[in-house]
Amino acid sequence: MSEPVSQEPLLDVRQLEVVYHDVATAVQGVSIEVAPGSIVAMIGTNGAGKTTTLRAVSGFLPAEDVAVTDGTISFGGQSLRSLLPHQISRLGVVLVPEREKLFQTLTVQENLDFSLTRTRQPIRDAVYDYFPRLAERRKQVAGYLSGGEKQMLAIGMALVCEPKLLLVDELSLGLAPIVTSEIMTILQAINRNLGLAMLIVEQNAAAALRVASFGYVMESGRVVFKGEAEKLLKHQDMREFYLGDRKAGSYRNVRQYARKRRWWG
Amino acid sequence: MELFVSILALGSIYALLAAGIVIIYKASRVVNFAHGELAIVGAYVFHSAGFLTGATLSAPSLLITIAISAIGSGLFGVFIYFSLMRRLLGRPTFVAAMVTIGLAIILKAGIVVIWQSRSVGIAIGRQALFNFAGGGRITWIDLVSILACFALFAALAGFFQYTRLGRQFRGAAENPLLAAQRQVNINLILALAWALAVFSATLAGVLFGSRSMLSPQSTIIGLSGLTAALVGGLDSLRGAAVGGVLVAAATYLTARLISPTLAEAVPFLILLVVMCWRPWGLFGTVEELNRV
Amino acid sequence: MTTNSPYLHVSYAETNRVLVEPYQRIVVAAIVAAVLCIPFVAGGYFLHLMNLCFIAVIGAVGINLLTGYCGQLSLGQASFMAIGAFTTAILSQRFGVPFFLAIPASCCAGAVVGFVVGLPALRFRGIYLAITTLAMHYAIIYVLTNYQAIVGPSASAGISVPAPSLGGFTLNSERGWFYVLLIVTALVVMFALNLSRTYIGRAWVAIRDRDIAAETSGINVPRYKLLAFTISAALAALAGSLGAYFTTVVTVEEYTLELAIVYLAMIIVGGMGSVIGSVLGAVFITLLPFGVARIFEAFPWQLGTTAFGVQQAAIGFAIIGFLLFEPDGLIEIYRRIATYFERWPFRYRELRAGGSR
Repeated sequence: MSEPVSQEPLLDVRQLEVVYHDVATAVQGVSIEVAPGSIVAMIGTNGAGKTTTLRAVSGFLPAEDVAVTDGTISFGGQSLRSLLPHQISRLGVVLVPEREKLFQTLTVQENLDFSLTRTRQPIRDAVYDYFPRLAERRKQVAGYLSGGEKQMLAIGMALVCEPKLLLVDELSLGLAPIVTSEIMTILQAINRNLGLAMLIVEQNAAAALRVASFGYVMESGRVVFKGEAEKLLKHQDMREFYLGDRKAGSYRNVRQYARKRRWWG
Repeated sequence: MELFVSILALGSIYALLAAGIVIIYKASRVVNFAHGELAIVGAYVFHSAGFLTGATLSAPSLLITIAISAIGSGLFGVFIYFSLMRRLLGRPTFVAAMVTIGLAIILKAGIVVIWQSRSVGIAIGRQALFNFAGGGRITWIDLVSILACFALFAALAGFFQYTRLGRQFRGAAENPLLAAQRQVNINLILALAWALAVFSATLAGVLFGSRSMLSPQSTIIGLSGLTAALVGGLDSLRGAAVGGVLVAAATYLTARLISPTLAEAVPFLILLVVMCWRPWGLFGTVEELNRV
Repeated sequence: MTTNSPYLHVSYAETNRVLVEPYQRIVVAAIVAAVLCIPFVAGGYFLHLMNLCFIAVIGAVGINLLTGYCGQLSLGQASFMAIGAFTTAILSQRFGVPFFLAIPASCCAGAVVGFVVGLPALRFRGIYLAITTLAMHYAIIYVLTNYQAIVGPSASAGISVPAPSLGGFTLNSERGWFYVLLIVTALVVMFALNLSRTYIGRAWVAIRDRDIAAETSGINVPRYKLLAFTISAALAALAGSLGAYFTTVVTVEEYTLELAIVYLAMIIVGGMGSVIGSVLGAVFITLLPFGVARIFEAFPWQLGTTAFGVQQAAIGFAIIGFLLFEPDGLIEIYRRIATYFERWPFRYRELRAGGSR
């Protein structure tokens, strides 16, 4: 297991603890780092706490009666914990949410122009280059786009905000695998061209680790494993539990099969 | 002709009220039940300010009174937002609506406490502009009402459709959290919405007080304003204008042709009809029904 | 075998028990004994206030079942009470119907009207439903206003209602009313508590929380919504009917939209979705104007005509205050204190199944 070395991490989350409604601890002792210009993936099943971590970073949680009770979140040296969502966004941490990710009643053009200023015109035009399908549907009301186009528009809107760190929450939900991989490839291209750091939360571990350089695995609110993406793709436990690689022929003992996850082995 | 102008004048007042309700609804999905009370409070304040500065139709003190009322109403709207409605962000919208009901109670009680439930009228502008043979007349106020309504609606329409702030307004109206993430200061947008709404309510109240007597019971015009907003569609400014004229026409014609007491029933009869036939109003979007 | 545990139940009788711990039974018995003794130690004014509270409790429980449990925001409470009051007045004054027939008849009238008002509820939720009930309120009040103008001695005099009598015994003393209202209120509260624990109550809560999910779970949503409106209106009519007998005169002017809002205030303050909460809220809001008047008596300046305005404003402040700072109402304050002692020294309360309120 190695960690991103040699540079100050862009996003540094340490020992984060998030509690829902004073009752349920969703995230405990989570520490995540995102190096500048890198793509980091957070993998895990439902309820692992990945989305919660992302929302904690982007400041959405107080609106939902969920409290960050411990830990630090710092971006470029500045603490994000007590800031409001629009302040965090202005610092350059932009979230592409899982649900409600765009303005359904506005057109594609109006959605992209939402955060437009004079200096951001070039990036807005670049979005149309990255996502040609959006260029075809400029005047269409966003609510009537297909799932993949909506996700592209959501990412495009986030890009127009000139992010320094892009947080993408479960973009593959509801999308066909081919669309997911198309969007992931575009994200990789954006990362290369703009040097934009990204933190991607995904249930589709294979797709995410394909584009990421580093990955964290979360279970039940804790980070249980981390490492460079290639290592994760090859790790036995990852292959079995997240990448769908069953050893052929071992179904005979499925009932007694209880191989303990040996993250540290 | 006189009938036409009178309906338009009354319709302007209702349209202005409806516009305020629509603006707040568009921005925050909250139905403001205190709008009638805000209008009448604004009118009382205008009256008292005019009283204090000795305003008449041509004196410059009238301008001072207008300025005080206009700026004061905007500031009051901002105050209401920051003290009350801001704390309700993220809660279900009917909670905010109930808070506006509480606000309506307090405002109405405030009128009773401060102005002792006297009936007053705003005497500026009641002079006839044009007299008709049959005894009907058009007053200055009728003309001012129609022009003011026109001007405000044109300004608002242009603002929402063509300016960046207006676009952000519409986006924030739909999804405040997302708009916040896209670097829009939600508090600014909502405070602006409330300032505009209270301003238009005050304008409507002043115009109303210039043609009828004001009393704490006058706050019932809020019901007509709400009806007009619903007739037109709660999320449509265009609908507010049309709804205002329709409700005014129905009320006025019923009062003239059938009976004045039945005219009191007109707003809620229209409300029932609208709810049964087309709840999202003439120009509103159907999806709104599911969002509240 | 019975286990005195809130978690492990081994028989249906155990799950249905309301008072589980011995101390709960003792406390309830003590409260009952104390309340029964009140008329012997309290003066007429206090008893009068208590009687007003009882009537308010009946109405508050009614609207809580509709708005708090079933989530149907209704502004029609005042019109339902008016229906009950007017039915009682007409039956007893014009037709000489005795109270034990007039009151159930008023409840039925209220139920019918509630059913009709509830029909739009099948189409709307939230604010639109509130607006529809608002329109219906005005329609009903308009009809009753015209009726009163035609029938009454003068347009605003109202209809007088003779005091209820059975045999030779007439009910017109505060003390007598206290016991009668106490029994009726207790029955209504127990009815509501039991209703909330049955499948009906659970269906209502399901509808309130996620009506689409409730529908897909097999709950007949229209049926339960209409049931909520019917029962709530019947209770409101009961309150109106008892109020008519209590004040012996019925005028339509007292059933304003403000009254509906006052009842909403009661359940907001007390705690929506909690029967005990509606009791607390009803008492709080009923006594609030008197409390405010008392407070101002201590001050040097005279309120005079503005006293009414200040009392009204107090209700507005109560609504706003509770909605902003204590949205779950007085009952939540009680629960917080109770669970603090229960769970101390632990930090979080355990998640109890059912969350019965």
